[in-house]
Formats: sequence, structure tokens, C-alpha cells
Amino acid sequence: MRRYAPRIAGYGALVAAVILLPHLAGEFRVTQFSYVGAFAIALFGLSILTGITGQISLGHGGFMAIGAYVTGILAVNHGVPDLLTIPLGGLAAGIVGFLFGFPALRLAGVYLALATFALAVIVPSVAIAFGEFTGGTAGILLDLPTSPVGALTPAEWLYYVTWAIVAALFVLATWFVGGKRGRALRAVRDNELAAVSSGISLSRYKTLAFGVSAFYAGVAGSLYAILNFIVTPGTFPVTLSILLLAGLVIGGAGSFLGVLAGAVFVEFIPLYAGDVLGPLVDLAQRLQVPVGDVDPTTPGVPSVVYGAILLLALIVMPNGAAGVGHRFRALTKRIYSRLVISNVGSPPKERGV
Amino acid sequence: MLVPLAIQWSEFFQQVVFGLALGAVYGSLALAIVLIYRTTHIVNFAQGELAMFTTFICWSLTTNHGFSFWPAFFLTLVIAFVLGFGIERIVIRPFEHASHLTVILVTIALFVILTGLAGWIWSPEQRAFIGPFSAKPFNIAGVAISRQDVGVIGVTLLTVILLWAFFRFTKLGLAMRAAAIGPGPSRLLGVRVGWMYATGWGFAAVLGAVSGMMVAPIIFLSPTMMQSVLIYAFAAAVLGGIESPVGAVVGGLLLGLGTTLLGAYVGFVSSDLDLPIAFAVLVLVLLFRPAGLFGRVVVRRV
Amino acid sequence: MKTKWFFVTAVAAAATLMVAIPGAVARPAADPGVGRTSITIGTTLPLSGPSSLFARIGRGMRTYFSYINARRGSDGKRGVYGRQIVLKVYDDQYNEAQTVQQTRRAVEQDRVFAMLGGLGTENQQAVRAYLNQRKVPQLYVSTGLSEFGRLIKQYPWTIGWQPDYVQEGILLGRYFRQNLAGARVAILRQNDDYGREFVQGFTSAAGAASVAATETYPRNGGATVIPGPVARLRASGATVFLVVATPTETITALVTAYRLGWRPTKLVNSVGATPGFMAAAQTSAGSADAVNGVVTTTYLKDVAAPAYANDAQVLLFKRLMTKYAPGQPTNEGLFYYGMAKADFFVQALYRAGKNPTRASLMRAAVNLKMNSPWVLRSSKITTSRGSAFPIRYQRLTRYNNGSFSEFGPLVKTR
Repeated sequence: MRRYAPRIAGYGALVAAVILLPHLAGEFRVTQFSYVGAFAIALFGLSILTGITGQISLGHGGFMAIGAYVTGILAVNHGVPDLLTIPLGGLAAGIVGFLFGFPALRLAGVYLALATFALAVIVPSVAIAFGEFTGGTAGILLDLPTSPVGALTPAEWLYYVTWAIVAALFVLATWFVGGKRGRALRAVRDNELAAVSSGISLSRYKTLAFGVSAFYAGVAGSLYAILNFIVTPGTFPVTLSILLLAGLVIGGAGSFLGVLAGAVFVEFIPLYAGDVLGPLVDLAQRLQVPVGDVDPTTPGVPSVVYGAILLLALIVMPNGAAGVGHRFRALTKRIYSRLVISNVGSPPKERGV
Repeated sequence: MLVPLAIQWSEFFQQVVFGLALGAVYGSLALAIVLIYRTTHIVNFAQGELAMFTTFICWSLTTNHGFSFWPAFFLTLVIAFVLGFGIERIVIRPFEHASHLTVILVTIALFVILTGLAGWIWSPEQRAFIGPFSAKPFNIAGVAISRQDVGVIGVTLLTVILLWAFFRFTKLGLAMRAAAIGPGPSRLLGVRVGWMYATGWGFAAVLGAVSGMMVAPIIFLSPTMMQSVLIYAFAAAVLGGIESPVGAVVGGLLLGLGTTLLGAYVGFVSSDLDLPIAFAVLVLVLLFRPAGLFGRVVVRRV
Repeated sequence: MKTKWFFVTAVAAAATLMVAIPGAVARPAADPGVGRTSITIGTTLPLSGPSSLFARIGRGMRTYFSYINARRGSDGKRGVYGRQIVLKVYDDQYNEAQTVQQTRRAVEQDRVFAMLGGLGTENQQAVRAYLNQRKVPQLYVSTGLSEFGRLIKQYPWTIGWQPDYVQEGILLGRYFRQNLAGARVAILRQNDDYGREFVQGFTSAAGAASVAATETYPRNGGATVIPGPVARLRASGATVFLVVATPTETITALVTAYRLGWRPTKLVNSVGATPGFMAAAQTSAGSADAVNGVVTTTYLKDVAAPAYANDAQVLLFKRLMTKYAPGQPTNEGLFYYGMAKADFFVQALYRAGKNPTRASLMRAAVNLKMNSPWVLRSSKITTSRGSAFPIRYQRLTRYNNGSFSEFGPLVKTR
């Protein structure tokens, strides 16, 4: 029991932070963290596919869109209560993902990446083309969120619902990538040839990974539609799929807790990239660095900042935020062992991510 | 919309020429992608934005510095080479040993930065880009063929042929091919592999610049102008086989021609469906030929 | 091994709290966004991405507010009743999902008093229900979709500004019927409510039988999706070409038509027909024939037309541009559009009283009756609950040899 005490304390701290947040933060921040939760769910899925099974997907925005549209259509055109549509959205996306897994078997590496990219590109166009069901370019407007619990505002209610789903799906994902199945998935990632020689069915595990990760993305998309109360072809552009992948790498592919860091990145960077510039310019001016008169609202400047931040993150944390944790721990361990004069021996080797 | 029963030949030829011109643009950008992939095994998502950036430089040369088109064109090609070379050495090189995923994201970061930089320096408004070809159409057998379209096809093909000749007949080209196939043995033979990679990026940037400068008069110069072209270029590269230069060009031409003619002659296909259809075709082709039309299929027997 | 988890989760928890706490806001007292010395409003515009040309509207608004904040009004105070107007511009990249997020940020976090001139039909539709639920004024949206005026009873906190697309279509349709009757029209329109509504107005006046062929292109499709449809339209044999698009697509359509040797009579919707865009099309096609004769509708004074060279308002516009936005082109109508809209807001704000509330501002905006020197012939603005379309008058105008010149009578819309 004592072995697990630190872990329980850690998780407990996290859970407490999640529960307490709405009481400390303003309304908008609460909604933003609901978005973070939705992205975390999508990233769990992407982590299963890309991190654990090694199949690069540039199309997860497309699966999110499927979930979102299912929610929109069911909620608005058929009066289904919005929260009930979430599993259905996930299911629809999961089926598409599973089916996508079959042709994906024949594709490898870059071809697979580009085929998934194609998916991200096609889904919005298909949504426009079938306008009678999807509202075309105008999309579907959902009802504004309401809260069935008197004590909670709609934003807070949705926040807790979101994070409850996050917790449940986290447990599910941890179970999914554990044990024999997890080893098989990782074997597919590490060396397909060796995996097949060991009797692991590539087709079974790849399609499974696609299906499950698409299910997660679909759930995330449904949630997103409810939080944002609108679904349009432009809600999940190609740039979002790319941003998700970036979030996964930044957070640390294969590590579920890194996923949370990645989700924070996905939500906050696009909104605040431009805002970072203001203080930076002030600082530069105070340090007498000639930066000229840079107006943060000049078009293009937020993009440059965002790209630079991304590059910086990739340079500093090539294994993602989870990797930073590893490296920091390795550093503290080395310091500890140098300070303590005892028969500690050489520092234990760190396992890579 | 009704399918016309009688095909008007004049319109048909106009569509064909336009489709081929568009296809040439896709093909040259696809070739750039293939070039980088073959030499360094990196999928460069920033290829289109680099092309856009160099096209802006050409625009700036003609507008702000008084160059006429062709001198600006060639100067831009030189600048593009230097830019591509420099980016490989400075931005990509540090990630030499990083995972595939990380490198893809580095190119994506480049994509974002280049787009933002172009918008910042030159403002995001669309502007007219005056190409070297007059807008007066050719009159061939009574059919008005756009001079612009023919010129685009010509310039692109010429560039591709010149590049092919370079790789085939010069020592440097041979060294680059060697570095791509076997970096280890090449090093032993004295080839500076790192410089070969950078040169590959330089030439790819040149191809991209040609693509951009040819397409800009048609679709107007703006920081986002190459984004849809990039998507088609990827499709073309994959369609032709990601390691096949011939495939890239053929794939591009087929895509350009195919989407134009399909849209023109199949009634229910509106412009909305151009992109999905192109990609659906792509996925279909990949099902039957997983390595693309001209790709080499690696058979692994287990 | 276990300490790793503890460390990571503890860091994550701490980071979360650090990010969350600064977002906490104090309990508001009166209407948010209005203080003793300033009033804060917001707008959502595409600052980046393909439609970022429209960012100039925000620049125009800001320029005008700088002027108002610096000069002394008739009561001797700077700003409006001594309050400086602060405009926060949010980038929504023309993406409705972003519009929702940025609008929520403006309302919930930055506590703006009102939203002014948000751009994009679908974008403003997306936030309309939200803003009305929160009773935040959604003023003078930058789109001409008629429902922004028609649905005022359903959405009392939302009001449009310019003549709507149906009316613009009708005016062009009438022109067609009176001058081009018997000819056939080829229509290129955007595949959304804007395109649909405009064409509906046009055909209601011109007659549906006059249409030879219609092609649509997807919103945000970019210039590459234009040449195909234009070639198809040309093949229809029509001698009139109606273009209902946004700027890039309009320019591309005109240039493509020219390149294909097609010389129809060109009718263009006002969104894509400013002098700047016409000049761009002319440069790209290499000939004035590509754009000469373009007929469109207009409701604001034309800052590039010789006819307005000595107009007091246009001169004021140019002076303000030089002072507050140096380096920007002064013949660009989008800046003027922004300034005119900003002035409407200032007028409404004055009428909202010395201690404006959101309700009093909305009341003032919906009942605005004045002569505005910014619109055509400084005509009257008479808004009311029964007719929530502020700008009422429009006119036909034709482009020739570098500038537009109006012709025909001033037509009342609704």
C-alpha cells in the first residue's frame, strides 16, 4: 500500500484541482478547460493509434467532425437530448475509423499519413456537399447549453460532465493498452515484421486501433459540438488535425498524463499566441533590443509566434512534456546520488519514453 | 444541371489546356515534395508555403525594385535555392535523429511561420501577380486557347527536364542520387551527405518557386494561395508514387486534367466535390497499387 | 517509478491552478464594459487567413474612434460624454467555431459592453442566440443577410446595418429587366445563404427564365475553384455574367472570363466590387476590358471616385487615415466602411444617454433617426422596431476607366 501512496497522492491532487477549478476561475476559463477536456479525449484516442500502435494519423479532426455532426443532426433534427448523442457520435466515428483501418492495412508510413490527411480534407467538403442533412456551409446551430442542476451554471455543468467523461475514458484507455493487447499494439509499432512472426495479426490490431481511436475522437467531437453550440464544416479544419498531432508530440506520445499537457497546448496556443507577443516586445524594448513597432494585431504576427513556440517546444522537449518530467527526475537523481556518500553505486539507467 | 449531349470541341480544348496547366503546377510542387522525400525521407509540409514566400519575393522584385519579369524570375530561383538550402541546414538539421513525427511537426511549424511572416511583411491582401504571358488568347483553329495556360505548361516542363538532365548527366547529380540511396557508402566514397541533403532542399525550393510563380497569375498572390495547391500536390505525389519523380509529374497532370474535366462534364459534380473526388480517386488507386502508379512495391515475405 | 507519477501529476495540478486562477474575475456591478472614463466594445474579424482583407474594417473603426477620443465633442468633452471608446478586435479567421470562442472570450472574460460590426454571415449567425440570451448588443453586423433585420422581434439584441442582399439583388435585377431584357444570364454564386439570397432577389426582379446557367462554388474555396465553373458558364452562351462572390473569387472570375475570350455584360455584387478589386482584376488580366462596364450597387460614398473628390466626409476620411493610419491606401472602401459604421455607433451611444446601459444602447440603435453624412446623398437613417434596416438607400454604379460613377435614381430599399 505504501508503494502506491505517492501515486494516489498525485492523482488525488489532480482530481482535486479539476474539481476545484470552477470555484476559482472565471466563467470563460471554465469553458476553456472544458475544451481542454474534449481535446484530452481526442488525444487519448490519437495516443492509442499513434503513440501505442505507431500509425501516424493526420486526420483525427475528420473523426471529430463525424462525431460532431452526428450530435448536431440528432440533437437538432431529431430532438435527441444532447448528452445522449455523445456515445452515438463516438460510435459512428468508431465505425468509420474501423472501416478506414482496412485499406489502411495496405498502406505504410507516409502513405498512411497522407491517406489520413485526405480524410481530414474530405470530411468538411462532404459535409458541404450533403447540405440538406448537414446545413451546408452554415452548419448546424445547437441550442445554448442549459444546466439541470440548479446550483451549477451551464458552463460548470458541462465542465463536470466533460471531466467525468475524461476520467471514465482514461480508465478505459489504460485498460485497453494494458496486458496482452497492449503488448501486441506496441509490437506492431516497434517492428511489424517481428510482430507478424510472433503470430500477432496486423489486420486485427490495426483496425482495432483505428476503430477505438476514432471512437475517442468522435466522442470528443460530440462534446465539442455541445460546448461550442455549433457545428460547421470549418469547425474541424485540417489545421486542427495537425494541431492535435502537435499536441500529442508536445505532451508526449504514449504517455496519458502527457496527453493532458498536450490538450492544454491545443486549446490555449492558438488563442494566446498573439498575446504572448505584447509582453515579449515590452521586454525586448526594456532590454534595448531593437524590435521596432510591432503591433500584435498585425495580421500574420500571431502565426509567427505560434510557429516559433511550436519549434521551440520541439527543440526543448523532443519527447514532449512527459519527457521533461523524465529528464528532470534523472537530473535530480544524479544530484542526489552525488550528494549522498554511500554505496549507491552508479545511477540507475533511465528507460526511454 | 444537365449533361450536354453534344460536346463542344472548343470548350473541351479550353478545359483540357486549363486542366493541364493546373496539373503542371501541381506536378512541379509534387516533384519538389518527392525530391525532398527521396533524398531525406521527410514529408515537407512547408513546401507550398516556401513556394508562396519565394513568389512574394519575385513580386517584390518586380514591383518595388523595378526588375522586369524574367530577370526577377531567375533571381528568385537563386534566392529560393539559398533559402531551401539554408532551411535544411539550420532548421531541419538539428532534428536529424528525432522521430518521424517530430520532423513532420517541424515542417508544420515552418509552414505556420512562413505563412505568418508573409502576411506580416507584405500584408495578407490578395494582389495581382503579373506573369510574363499576355492574356490575349492564342487562336488555334478558331478556338481561343489561353496563352497563360500554354506558357505554364511549357515553363514547368522545361524546368522538370532541366532538373532531370542535371541528375542524370552531372557529377553533382550523381552524388545526390548516391547520397539518397546509400548515405553510408556514399560517405565512404567522399560524398558530403549533409551538403547533398541541403542541396536537395535547395532544388526542391526552386521547383516550388517555379510552381508558385506560374500559378500566381491565375489564383492571385496571397499568403494562403498555395495551401490548396499543396493538398493537390500531396495527392499527386502519392498517386504517382512518393519516390517517383516521373510519377509526381504524371500524377499532377492527371489530377489537374481529371478534376477539371470531371467537373465540366459530369453533371452532379459541383466544385464542392473537386477535392473529395480527387482524394477518393487517390484512395482507390492506393487500394490497388499501394505504392502509387509508378512506385516500387516492397514485398515483404514473412 | 511511483515518484514519477507523483511528480508529474503534482506539476500538472500546480500548472492547472496557476493557469486557472488569473482567469478569476471580480463580481460585476453595473453593465460590464462601461466605466467612468471608458467604454469597451469588441468585434470579431478575420485578421488572418484568406479573408483577412476584411481586417481593414477594424482598422477603419479604430481610426475613427481614435479621432473621437482625441477631439472635443459639442459638450466639450473628449470621446462620448467623456468616455474613451476602446475597441477590442478579435481574430476569428472567418471560422464560425472561432467566432463563438472569441465572442465568448469578449463577453465573459473581457466583459465588453457590446459587439460591433462582427463580420461574416455564418459567423454572426453562430453567436446571435448566445448574445441575445446574455442581452449583449450585437450591433451593425457586417453582413447583408436580410434576416439580421427581419428577425428583430425574435432577436431583439441584434441589428444589421447595410442594405440587405435581397434588395441589392432586386436593384440589379431591375437594371437587367430595364436594359438587358431578352438576354440570358450566367450566374456564379457562393454556395451559401449570401449567394442564395442575392440570386433570389435578382431573379424575382429579372425573371427566372432569364437565367441560362448557374454555377456555385464553395465558400472559402479559394481562387482555384473559380476557373472551372466560369468556363462552364461561358459555354452556356449567356451574354450577361452575374457574379455573387467575395473579393478574391470575384476578381478571379472576371479575369478568367477575360482570358477565355468571353466579353459579357458584367453584374457584380457590391462585396466584391470596390475600386481596389477592380484595379487588381485589371492589372491581372492586363486589360481594362476585363472590368470596364461592371455594374454594381452602392450605398456608401466612394472614396476613390472623382465625383466625391471634394466631399467633406471623404476629405475627413482621408485626413483621418493620414493621421491615424499612415501608410495605408486611402482609396480603399473597406476603411471607409469601418469608419462609417463606427460613426453610427457613436451616434447611437450619444443617444443612449449619459449613463448608457446595454438596454439603452440597443434602444437607441434600433430607433436611430438621423441624416448620416457617410451614406449616399447624406440620406436619412430611420430605423425602427418595425423596420430594422438602418441604411435605406442604394444606387447603381458603373466602373469605367479606373473609377466608379453612379447613375440612375437613388432607390429606397425597405
